[in-house]
This record gives sequence, C-alpha cells and structure tokens, in this order.
Amino acid sequence: MRRLAMIVLVVAVLAAVPFTEASNAVLNFLVVALLIALAGQGWNVLGGYGGQYSFGHAAFFGTGAYVTAVLQVRYGVNAWLAFALGIAAGALVGAVIGALTFRSGLRGSYFALVTLAFAEVLRIVASVAPITGAGVGTLIKLDLRHEALQFQSRAVFYWAILGLVALSLVIAWAIEHSRFGAWLTAVRENEDAARALGVDATRVKLGAMTLSAAITAAAGCFYAQYFLFIDAGIAYGPWISVEALLTAIIGGAGTIFGPLFGALLVRLLGEAARLVTGDAPGLDLVIYGAALVLVVAFAPRGLMGIVADIRSAFRRPAPRPTAEAAGG
Amino acid sequence: MPDRIGLSRRSFLMSSAAGTAGMLAMPAVLRAQGAGVKLGVLHPVTGALSYSGQQGRLGATIAVEELNAAGGIKGLGKIEPVLGDAQSTPDGGTAEVEKMNSAGVAAIVGGYGSSICLAVSQAASRYDLPYMVDVGVTDAIVTRGLKNTFRFGPGFGVIAKTALDNLVTLNDQAGKPAKTVMIVHEDSAFGSGLAKLLNDQLPARGFQILETIPHPTPTRDFNNVVLKIKAANPDIVIPADYYNEYVLLARTMLQQQVRPKAIYSVLGGAASSYKFVKEFPDAAKYIMDCNHWFDPRNAKALALKKKVEAQGQFFTYEVFMNYSAVLLVADAIEKAGAADRAKIIAALEGSTFVGHVMPYGPTKFVNGQNQGAAPVNTQVLENDIQVIFPAAFASSKPVFPMPA
Repeated sequence: MRRLAMIVLVVAVLAAVPFTEASNAVLNFLVVALLIALAGQGWNVLGGYGGQYSFGHAAFFGTGAYVTAVLQVRYGVNAWLAFALGIAAGALVGAVIGALTFRSGLRGSYFALVTLAFAEVLRIVASVAPITGAGVGTLIKLDLRHEALQFQSRAVFYWAILGLVALSLVIAWAIEHSRFGAWLTAVRENEDAARALGVDATRVKLGAMTLSAAITAAAGCFYAQYFLFIDAGIAYGPWISVEALLTAIIGGAGTIFGPLFGALLVRLLGEAARLVTGDAPGLDLVIYGAALVLVVAFAPRGLMGIVADIRSAFRRPAPRPTAEAAGG
Repeated sequence: MPDRIGLSRRSFLMSSAAGTAGMLAMPAVLRAQGAGVKLGVLHPVTGALSYSGQQGRLGATIAVEELNAAGGIKGLGKIEPVLGDAQSTPDGGTAEVEKMNSAGVAAIVGGYGSSICLAVSQAASRYDLPYMVDVGVTDAIVTRGLKNTFRFGPGFGVIAKTALDNLVTLNDQAGKPAKTVMIVHEDSAFGSGLAKLLNDQLPARGFQILETIPHPTPTRDFNNVVLKIKAANPDIVIPADYYNEYVLLARTMLQQQVRPKAIYSVLGGAASSYKFVKEFPDAAKYIMDCNHWFDPRNAKALALKKKVEAQGQFFTYEVFMNYSAVLLVADAIEKAGAADRAKIIAALEGSTFVGHVMPYGPTKFVNGQNQGAAPVNTQVLENDIQVIFPAAFASSKPVFPMPA
C-alpha cells in the first residue's frame, strides 16, 4: 500500500507542473520523457519482471503508431478509437511474436536477437508497403480539436501522457502484488525450477509479452498523435528499442519507478549536456554517452538500486539470524 | 577513489539541476539582453543529416554576420541568431521550436529534412511563429494550410516536372539516342517518392524503364546493383540517393566500366557537389543533375562561394539556400517594421524580395510556396559544375551522350 501511495504522490507532483510557471519547452521536454518512460515501462514488464530481454520493442511501438495514424488518415476512423485499436494491435503483435518465440523455446540472447529481427522486418515492410505510405511516411492532419485527440495546449497532452504513465505504474504495482507477478519473477530467476514447481512458464511469458507490447504500443500511439508524422525509421527504428531498454535499465529493471526515473534522468542528462556544451554540435552526445557509461558502471542496479542502498544504510542493521533460524 | 566517484556523480546531478533551471529561466535571461531581433536558426547538426545540417547552419550564420556587419535590420538593430539542433529527428526539431518560442524569436529559418520540416512547421504554427523552410521538398509541407509556413525553395512536384521536361529536351536535342532507363533509389521518403513519380511519368514521355532498384540508406556495397545495370545495359541511369551512396554507386560504375549514355539524377546526393567533384573527379565526370543551385551570374552568389571556400568548406546547396532564406526573412522583418509575428507573416505573404542568390526572380508566395522557385540542371564538366538548363542561367552546353 505504501508503494501505491508513492505512485499517487509522484503522479500528483508531476501533474502539478503545468500549474507552475513552466514554459512549453519544459512541458514538451517532459512529454517526450514520459513517452519514453511509458515505452520503458512496457519493456520493464517483460524484461525487468520477466527477465526476457527484448531488443525489438520498436515492433510494438511502431505498430501502435502506424495503426493509430493509418486508421485515421486512410479510413477516417475517429482518433480516440484509432488510439485504442493501436494499443490492441500492438498487443496482438506482441502475442504473435511471443507465441512464435516462446513456443520455440527461445531464451536469453536468442530471444533478444529474434525480437530485434522482427522489428527490423516490420521496419523494412513499412518502408515499402503502400498502406503505411512506404518511404514517404504517414502524416496526420493538424486538427486541434478534442474529437481529433489533438489539443492546442501542451498541458493537456502532458496530462494525457502522465495519465498513461500512471496507469503503467499501477500495472507494475499490480504485477508485484499478484500471483501472476510471482510466477513471472519465478520464471526470471530460474525458469526450469519454476516449471518444476508447476508454473506454466510459456503462458506466463506470453501474458507478460502481450501486456508489455500493449504498454509500449500506447507510447507509439501517443507519439503519432503528438508529432502527427511517422515513417518507418521513426516507428520501427532501433532508437525506440534502445531507449525503452536503456531507461528501464538505468532506472532499475524490475522496479515500479525504474523506467520513469530512468527516462527523466536520461533525458535530463541529454538536455543538460546540450546546455553545457552550447553550440558545439555533437559534444553533448559525447558527454551524455560518457555519463551513461558511468551510471551503468557505478550503479548496475540502476537509480532504484541507489535508492535502496541509501535506505538500507539508514535502516538499523537487522539482528544476525541464529543458526537454527537460518537453517530452518 | 570512492570520493572521486561521489564527486563526479554529484557533479552530474548539479549539471542536471543546472540544466532544468536553465531551461526554466531561459526566456527571462534572453529577454534581458536588450534590443535587436532574435532569429531561430534550426538545423539537424547532429545525427544522420548532420553534414547537411552543419552546411545549412553555415549559410544561415554567414547571412546573419553580413546583415549585422551592415548594421542589422533597419530600425530594429542587430540580429541575434538562436541556434538549434534538430538532431535529425522530428521530435528533436519540435523541442527546439518550443525553446525558440520561449526565447522569443521573431521567426525560424531551416529544418532541412522533410520530416523535420513537417513537425517544426506544425509546432511553430501553434504560436503563429513565422517559419521559413530552407530545403525540405515534400509538398505536404506547404499544402496543409499552415499560415505561418513558407518555403523559399522548390517542392518535389516542381523539381520532378522540371527534371523530366529537361530530360526530354536534352534527348530530343541530341536526336533521341536514349530510350531505356534504370532507376536506382534509396528507400525512404525522398528516393521512393521520386522513383514512383518517374515510374508514372517516364513511359508517357517515351522512355522504357528496364528496372527500378531500391536500396536502404546506408548501403555499403553497390557491386550487385552495378552488375544488374551492366546486364540490362540501359541508356540512362537515374540514381536518387543521399551523398555517400551516390558517390559509392558512381565509383562502382566507374570500376566496373559501366558507361551508359548518361547518369542523370534528380536531387542527386552528390551530383551537384563540389566535394564529390574534387574528391572523385573521374567518377563525377559528365554526371547530370537536376537540383537546387545558385544563380551563376549573380555577383553576390560568387562572392559567397569565395567566402565559403576561403573557410575551407564546400559550397553546397544547403549553404546558399539558407543564406538566401535568412536574407529573405530579414527583409520581411524590416518591411514589417517590428519583431511582430503577425506582421512578419503578412510581410512574407506580400514579399517581392530580389536580394537572394538563387535563379528564382523576385519572391512571390502563394499558400506559402515561393512560385518562382525552380531547380536547374547541372553537369560536371572539366572538374567543375556547370549549369546546362535553363538557357537563361546556363554557363555551358550539355555534353550528351557522354563520350565513351
């Protein structure tokens, strides 16, 4: 329950940002950071809690983005409905890829490579298929009405993505507190042992993959609706797969707040590096990269790992367990 | 050792905090800097389009320096460029627009890539912030009814039509030696769009398309593509590629001794590039291109070329397009008489600016598109790039078919 209260607190603090004197530049920065956090939370469900490291979450992000955009532009579907269908389509793609890979027993690096391959295949298909606009991409018409899921104010977009992130935090919390989450963690820690204890590992992984894909697809849907333009490189490009896993790992994989704090830190670091270096192109990327290397080197459990270390340092050391207690 | 680590981590936190504070405080700080006009100069100076972006920034900043050396904008003072990096992505461009808007720029110039221009124009339209596209050729940029968006250069439709018209004229003048064509294109917006257009229109103009070969960017080996060309033996090869791939294709063709009657490109990544001509003169020889090009009879253009080359840079189209676009926007701000966005948009709508270096004539904007904007045809002749069409700006006669 304390964790749930933390979620409410963090979301409330973030929700208050537009009421301060924050400029739209700050809001835009936060929208993009939250978008990445959402994609990262999707990755976290499968990679963090389930231990299935995917390198191809672009497959879900891109499917969400394309379905949202193409349904509106080519079939005149209402934007809200297209958004929901985009999430569903992303989940479906997750379920299909999951079924194919998990049933074939692919694990570890093989699983990572196969997911990467799926994303790349989708990228190539999207760059030639007429329905996606092929190489030209798909442009959603600028139409700043609520019915079209576009808003004049950046603040509304901000609250919308914050709402989605809040939902993803609650989902992560629910996973931690459910039987499904326990199975998932068991599969992560030792799949064979979990199977021996009666956990249907394939089914659990498939469920996690579908959920994970749906969350990342939601980020894709939001991207399409916010920037109103996507092409194959944006939707299915490796950048989003990397951002999703990077934010989750930097923040702390397998924790509720890991992806959110990771995304905020990574983005803030990038922005700070750019401010520090001024107009020297590329220097900021060097600083950003170096900083990331340091974070990973000195905080391998991510930001949440540091938080846990600090908390345990302040906590009174627990009495040493007696031999009987340890043995029993 | 742990101390040093702690220190470095602290310094990250501090720089992060400084970053946030800076972002929040930026508008106030910049407002405090006094009179003058702020102009957003936005290019993808990092990422996949970084070379083009940096060239664009070069052209724009030279224009600003020259204007400021002459006293800035009449009645308003010097121009203060607010440089932005779109990071070669639409979201990077959007983020810069937000910052520039907060900084209080009067207008934004740049964008370069079509997808960046699409995103930037939309973001700027939220604030009725005048936006001058430098290069981005996708026609959708100016056909969405955005009041704030103007494009100084030509769009895709005009470029493709000019290229096809000139190809037909070229062939007719030489007694129609060419009948067959092969298209090699990169598979993103620019290459695919062009290939589609050529496939639609070339047959109607009497050319047979033997094959259309797409390839991704980057591609690091063109041997198979060139073998295919060799086997099909077309009269004309039409490449639509970015710089690196274009160079590689031309060099591979030279190596495999594939010499069609013409290599004729549309917005060819390297064909109208002094860099290519200087570095690979043999591969570049006789290549024709339909592209953005300066007016070779304009003294200002030649002076700019000299200046850019004196800095050790190549005089690429990004440089003179951006140079011209900044001069145009500065002229509009001067006509508007204030750094007022609505007035600048009105001034651009009625603009008849002639002080640029492009062969466009006076500017005239209809729905944001400069009506006089058109590409020209160039050919690499005697280690230089000559204009061969239109006749009014030509500095040389075309050599076609190219000598074996």
